[in-house]
Amino acid sequence: MPLSPSQQTARDLLRPEVLAGMKNLDLVARSVVEGVLIGLHRSPRFGFSQEFAEYRAYNEGDDPRFIDWNVFARTEKTYIKRFLGDTNSHLMVLLDASASMNFGGPPLTKLRYAQFLGASLAFLAARQHDAVGCMVFDDEVRDYRQPSSRSGKLQGVLHCLDGATASTGTSYAKPFEKFRETVTRRGLVAVISDFYSDIESLLAGVRPLAWHGQDVVLFQVLDEAELDPSFDTNVLLEDMETGQAVEVAPQFMREQYPQRIREHVEALSKAAAGIGADHVLVNTSDSLDKALRNYLLFRQRRK
Amino acid sequence: MSLLAPLFLLGLAAIALPLWLHRLQTQSSDRKPFSSAMLLETAKQQVHVRRKLKYIALLCLRVLLLALVALAFAKPFLEREPDVVTSTDAGTHIVLVDTSASMQTAGVFEQAKAEARRAISDAPADALLQVVAADRALRVASELGTDKSAHVAAIAALQASDLRLDYGEAMTAVERLSAGLPQPVTLHFVSDFQASGMPSRFADLIPAGVSQMLPHVTGTGEPVNWSFEYVRSTADGMDAGLRAYGDRERVADVALIANDSVIDTQSLSGTGPHNLQFAAPVYAEGENRITLRITADDDLAVDNRWFHVIDNEPPMAIPIVTTDVAGLPMIYLSAALESSGEYKVEPVVADDFDVRILGRYRWLVVDDIGAVGPALENALVAYLENGGNLLAFAGDRAAGLDRLPVSAHRLDAASPGLQDGDFLTVSQLDSRHPVLTQTEGWQSVTISRSLSLQAGADDQVLMRLSNNEPFLLERRVGKGRLMLLPASLDNRWNDLPVRPVFVSFIIEAGRYLSGLSQIEKTYTAGASLPLGAASGTSGQVIDPDGNNVLSLADTTRDQQIKLDKPGFYEVYTSQGQTVVAVNVDPRESDPLKVSQETLDRWQAATAGQTPSGTLTYRAEQTETVALWHWVLLILGLVVIAESVLGNMHLTARRMERA
Repeated sequence: MPLSPSQQTARDLLRPEVLAGMKNLDLVARSVVEGVLIGLHRSPRFGFSQEFAEYRAYNEGDDPRFIDWNVFARTEKTYIKRFLGDTNSHLMVLLDASASMNFGGPPLTKLRYAQFLGASLAFLAARQHDAVGCMVFDDEVRDYRQPSSRSGKLQGVLHCLDGATASTGTSYAKPFEKFRETVTRRGLVAVISDFYSDIESLLAGVRPLAWHGQDVVLFQVLDEAELDPSFDTNVLLEDMETGQAVEVAPQFMREQYPQRIREHVEALSKAAAGIGADHVLVNTSDSLDKALRNYLLFRQRRK
Repeated sequence: MSLLAPLFLLGLAAIALPLWLHRLQTQSSDRKPFSSAMLLETAKQQVHVRRKLKYIALLCLRVLLLALVALAFAKPFLEREPDVVTSTDAGTHIVLVDTSASMQTAGVFEQAKAEARRAISDAPADALLQVVAADRALRVASELGTDKSAHVAAIAALQASDLRLDYGEAMTAVERLSAGLPQPVTLHFVSDFQASGMPSRFADLIPAGVSQMLPHVTGTGEPVNWSFEYVRSTADGMDAGLRAYGDRERVADVALIANDSVIDTQSLSGTGPHNLQFAAPVYAEGENRITLRITADDDLAVDNRWFHVIDNEPPMAIPIVTTDVAGLPMIYLSAALESSGEYKVEPVVADDFDVRILGRYRWLVVDDIGAVGPALENALVAYLENGGNLLAFAGDRAAGLDRLPVSAHRLDAASPGLQDGDFLTVSQLDSRHPVLTQTEGWQSVTISRSLSLQAGADDQVLMRLSNNEPFLLERRVGKGRLMLLPASLDNRWNDLPVRPVFVSFIIEAGRYLSGLSQIEKTYTAGASLPLGAASGTSGQVIDPDGNNVLSLADTTRDQQIKLDKPGFYEVYTSQGQTVVAVNVDPRESDPLKVSQETLDRWQAATAGQTPSGTLTYRAEQTETVALWHWVLLILGLVVIAESVLGNMHLTARRMERA
C-alpha cells in the first residue's frame, strides 16, 4: 500500500544522510521511532499500541502512575491498567565504542549510526514502558546506566549513548563480565558493535549472558565500504585499532575480501544462533527502520 | 679513468630524486585508515613483493640513467701510456709534404701526394714512418708507426693551403720533431722547391738529427702564372704591379672591382713585370673593398686576386681652443694634425667657445690652458667626466696663474726655465705608452722654459725633464683622459714644434685620445692580427667565408687572429667595425725552382751528419681515449630499457586498476 505524504516524510527522516544532520540524539530517536511506528499502522501483529488489554491487581513495586484511579474510586481497590504491547521487561543497550567503530561515512560513521540505533531502541522501549539502561564499552566499560523505567532515566540513557567516543581496541570478555555482575533481572540485551574479533572470544563474552536468561540480539553495524570495498590502486590500509598497516591490491579487495567478510558475518550469525542469540546485520547506508523492524520481530518472537 | 670536467659529477646528487620518489611509491602514498585488518592478511605480501621487485629494477635503471648523464657531462677519458717504439736498422722515415699555396699549381699537389705515397711504400717494412705537412707551420698528419696504410690515409687527407712555406723554418721545425726519434732519421721532402722559399742562410736548411734528406721534386714542368706583386692607392687612382711567369706569352684581363662592382678592365699580354694604372673610382664614404682580379689561362689560380681596402672616411673635426687663431701654436698644431689626413682643424677662440657643442668631439686641443675661463673649465671637466679627452698645453696665460684650470695643478713660483741660458732636455720617457712609441728625437728637444708643477697621485708622468720636473702628464678624469704638456708651442719656450717628433707625437696623441683603430688594412696570408692591441679589448672577427673566428669566450680576451685565407676579414671591436684585406704572399707565385746544384748541396750537407739518436722512442704525451661516446651509447640503451620496464609497470598498474 502506498505511503501517505506524512508517512513518506517520516520515512525520509530515517535515512542516514538526514539523520546525520541532527545533533540531538533525543530528536533522532524520537523521529526514528515515530517513523517506524507510522509504518507499522498500529498492526496487531506486532502488538504495539496503547489499547487497553486488562487490569491486574497492584503489586508492590509497580509504578503507581499506571493505577486506574477510576476503578479505585469505584471499588477502593488498586488495579493496574495494562495495555497491549506492555511487557514489563527491560532493555540494555551495549554500545561498542572501540576505534574501529569510527570507520565509515560520510555521512555517518558506524559509531554515530550505532548511537542512533541504540537511542532509537531505548526510546522505543521507553515508549513501551520498559526499563532502559545502557553500557558503553571498548576494552573497558566506559559508561553505564542502570535500567530504569522512569521517564527521566531515558534522557540519562540517551546522554550516555551520545557521549560515546571511539577510542581504543575492543574486548568483550571484561566489559561483559562486569555487565553480568550488575544486571539482576532477565531482559533484552542489544549489543551494537562491528564484531571485528575472534568469534570464540566474542562468544566467551556473550554466552554467559544467554545462560543467565538474557535475550541477546547482536546488531552488527558495518559500513558499505567494508561490505563492498572499492579501490583503484594498491592501497596501504591501516587498522584503526592496532595501527597495523597492510598493503592490499584492488583485485583482492574486489574479489576475496567481500567473500571473507561474508564468511565472517555468517560465522557470527551461526554462533549467535548456537547460543540462542539473534544476529542482525546493519548496513549504515540503510535506513534505521530496517534495524528497528528486526528488533521488533525479535521481540515478538520472544514473547 | 679521469674526468675532464669532474664538477659535473655534482649532478649525481640528482639520484636522490628517484630514490626519494621510489621510497614514497613503495611506502604507498594511498595510506588509508580501515576498520580492521583482521581479514586482510593473505593477499598483501604477494602484491607488495612483486611490485617492489619491479620498482627496484626500475629504480636501478633510473639511478643508472642519471649517473650516466652526469658522467657523460664530466667527459671521462682514459689515459693510455704510449707504446714504446723500438728502433730498427731502418730507423725513422719522415715524409714532409709541402702544402703551401704554390702547391695548388695545376697537378702539382696530386703529384706530391703520389710522391709521398711512393716514399711510404718504398720505405723498409720495419721502418718507423710519420707524415708531416708544412706551410706556415709544421703539422703532424700521422703518428709515428709502421702501419703504412695509416700513413697513406693521412696523405690522402692532406690539402694545400693559401699560406707560404719557408724552407729554413720548415727544417728548423723538422729538427725539433726529429729530436729523440729513433735513429737514423730519413727525411723525404716532397715539395715544388720554389727558389723563393729558400732562407737567407743555407745553414738553416740543415736540420740536426736528420741523417738523410731525400728531395721529391714535384711540378717539374714550366707553369704559366699571372700574379700581383703589389697594389697601392695613389692620388690619381690605383697602381698595380703584375708579373707573368713562364716563357710562353699569354693574355690576361685585369678587372678593378670596388664594392662588388666592376669599375674598369684592362688587358695585358707578354711575360715579365707589368704596371697598370686605374683611374680612381668614386669611392663610397667609409671603407671600400677593392678587388683586382686576373682572368687568364694560368696554372695557379689562388694568386689571381688581390684584395685592398680604401678608407674614405672624412677627416675628423678637431677643435683647437686658442687665444690667437693666427698664433704660432695654432699654426704648428694645425700643420701637424692635418698632415695625417685624418683630422680637420677647427680653430676656436677660448672666450667664444660654445660649450654646448663639446659633446660632438671625441677629443680637443687647448694650446694654453691658462686661457680657459671658469665657465669653460666647468664644461671641460664635465666633458672629461663623461668620456671626453683633452690635450692641453701651457702658455703665457698659464704662467701667470697659481693654479691651472681643469687639471688644478699648483704652480711653483720659481720656474726653472726662467733663467737665461739654462736649457733642459727630456731625460725620462715612458716608451711603452702608445703616444711615445716614437722615442727618437725627444732627446734633441731643448727646453728653455717649462711650468713647474707637482704631479698628483692620479697623474701618470710620461715624460720628465733633466731636472726631474714632469714634462708630459696623463690623468684619468671620470671616463675621459687629460694629457697635459706644461709648455708653450710658440717656439720661444722650446723647440719642440719644429722638431720632426712633434708631428708624430701629435698624430699618435690624437689616435690615442680619439680611440681610433690602429689596425693595419692589408695583411699577407699567415700573418696574425693583434686584436687586443688594436682596441684595448677583444672583439669578433668574421673570415672571408662568413664564419666567426672567435668563440664567445675568446671575444673577451686579447687575441692573435691567424689570417689564413685570402679575402676580406671583418673586424668588430669596441671602437667600431673595420675591414682588413688578406692576400697570398706574392713569393708563392714565383714558379722558379731551386737549382739542382743547390738541392745536391742540401742533400749532401744533410747526409754528412752523424746519427746520435735514441734506440727507443716514446711519445711525450700520453694518449687520451675519450669515453663519453661510450657513455652516451650505454645511456641510450638504459633509456630504452627504462622505457620498456616503465611501460610494463604502467601496464601492470592499469591492469590492476581494471
